[in-house]
Amino acid sequence: MKRSYYIYNNGSLRRKDNTITFTNEYDEKKDLPIERVGDIYVMSEMSFNSSLINILAQNGIPVHFFNYYSFYTGSFYPREQLVSGNLLVHQVDHYSDSEKRLKIAKAFVEGASYNIYRNLRYYNGRGKNVQVHMDLIEDLRWQIPRAQSIQELMGYEGNIRKTYYNAWPTIIDQEIEFEKRVKNPPDNMINTLISFVNTLIYTKVLGEIYQTQLNPTISYLHEPGDRRFSLSLDLAEIFKPILGDRLIFSLLNRNQITQKSFTKGLNYLHLTKEASKTIVAELDAKMQTTIKHKDLNKTVSYQYLMKLECYKLVKHLLGEKEYEPFKIWW
Amino acid sequence: MYVILVYDIKSDEGGAKALTKTFKICKKYLTHIQNSVFEGEVSEAQLLKLKMELKPIIREDRDSLIVFKSRNERWIPKEMWGIQEDKTSNFL
Repeated sequence: MKRSYYIYNNGSLRRKDNTITFTNEYDEKKDLPIERVGDIYVMSEMSFNSSLINILAQNGIPVHFFNYYSFYTGSFYPREQLVSGNLLVHQVDHYSDSEKRLKIAKAFVEGASYNIYRNLRYYNGRGKNVQVHMDLIEDLRWQIPRAQSIQELMGYEGNIRKTYYNAWPTIIDQEIEFEKRVKNPPDNMINTLISFVNTLIYTKVLGEIYQTQLNPTISYLHEPGDRRFSLSLDLAEIFKPILGDRLIFSLLNRNQITQKSFTKGLNYLHLTKEASKTIVAELDAKMQTTIKHKDLNKTVSYQYLMKLECYKLVKHLLGEKEYEPFKIWW
Repeated sequence: MYVILVYDIKSDEGGAKALTKTFKICKKYLTHIQNSVFEGEVSEAQLLKLKMELKPIIREDRDSLIVFKSRNERWIPKEMWGIQEDKTSNFL
C-alpha cells in the first residue's frame, strides 16, 4: 500500500534522479521514494516547478494543498490515466434518471446514518447516555426509503445529523460549546475540527477515486457542481462517522486537542501547526489500520475500504451488482 | 513486504559510476537510511522491478547487494543507538 506524505515545513519540492527531493529551509534534503508515494499533502509554503508536476503526473500522484488556516485550497489532479467512456456514460445515465439517482443517493444516506447510529451505540455502551438520540435516529432512519426526491432525502439526512450533533456534548468529556454545525467559516472549536477532518477525508476519498475509472465530478447525493469533485463528498458521507467523528471524539477525550490547539485571536478558526500535525498523524495511522473483511476473507485497511466502495459503485453503475453501502459490521 | 537493502560496490574503475547509479535507482523505491542502506515497504512487483533495474548496473563479479525481506515491518524490531532519527517518517 502506498503512503501519503505530509509536508509541514516550508521548503521546496523538486524532481531529482527520477524521484522527488524535499529541501527544507535549512537546506536539509530528503528523498521521497516515488514508487511508494500515494499522494502528497502540502500544509506549508512550498515552491516547485513544472518538472516536478511532470514527474507527479507520470506517476499519477495527486497533491492536495491547504492554506495557512488549514482550509483546503485544491488538488493537483494528474491527467486521468484510467478513463472509461463506457463507465462515464453509465455514470451520467444514473444521474439524469431521477429514479436511478435517488436509489444511489438513498444508499449513501442509509450507510452514513447506520454508521452514525453505530457510533452512538458504541459510546452509549461506554457510559455516555445517548439513548434518546439513538432512538430518534432510529426513527428518522425509517423515513429514508420513503423519500421521493433528493431534496426530501437531504432533509432527512439533515435531521439525522442534527440529532447526532446534539449528542456530541454528552460524548465529549471536555467542556465544549457546540450547538450546531456552522461552516464558512466555522464559529467554534468543534466546528473548526469537523471542517478540517472532513476535508481530509474528502481528499482521501478523492485519492482513491483517482485510482478507479470513476469520474469524480458526477455525484448523486450532492448536486454535481462546477469546480469541485462532488463524488468524493458523496462517498465521504459513509466514512465521516467512522473515521472522522470517532477521531474527533478520541482526540478530545484523550486531551490531545484542547483549547490551546487553536489560535485564540481568530475565534478558534485556526488550528496550530502542532495540532494539525497530530490530527493528520492520527488519521493516517487510522487509515493504515487493517480489519478482517467478512466477504473478501482477507485483511484490508480502512484506506482500501474506500477503494472497495468505489469498485462497488462501479459495479452498480454497470449493472453487475447492486450497490450496498459500507456498514460497520463489527 | 518490508525490506532492508544493503550494498557494497567496489571502488575500482567504473565503481563510482555503478555506485551512483545504484543509489539513484534504490531511492526511487526505498528510503535512504544510511550510507549504503535502504529500507521500506514495497510490493513483490516493485521489488522485482527494482531488481530488473539494478541488474545491468551491478557488476556480478565485484559488487554485492543483499536484500533482507520480512512480511511486515513489525517483525523487524528496530533499535537506534546514537542519533535517533526516524528517516522513514512520512511527515516532512
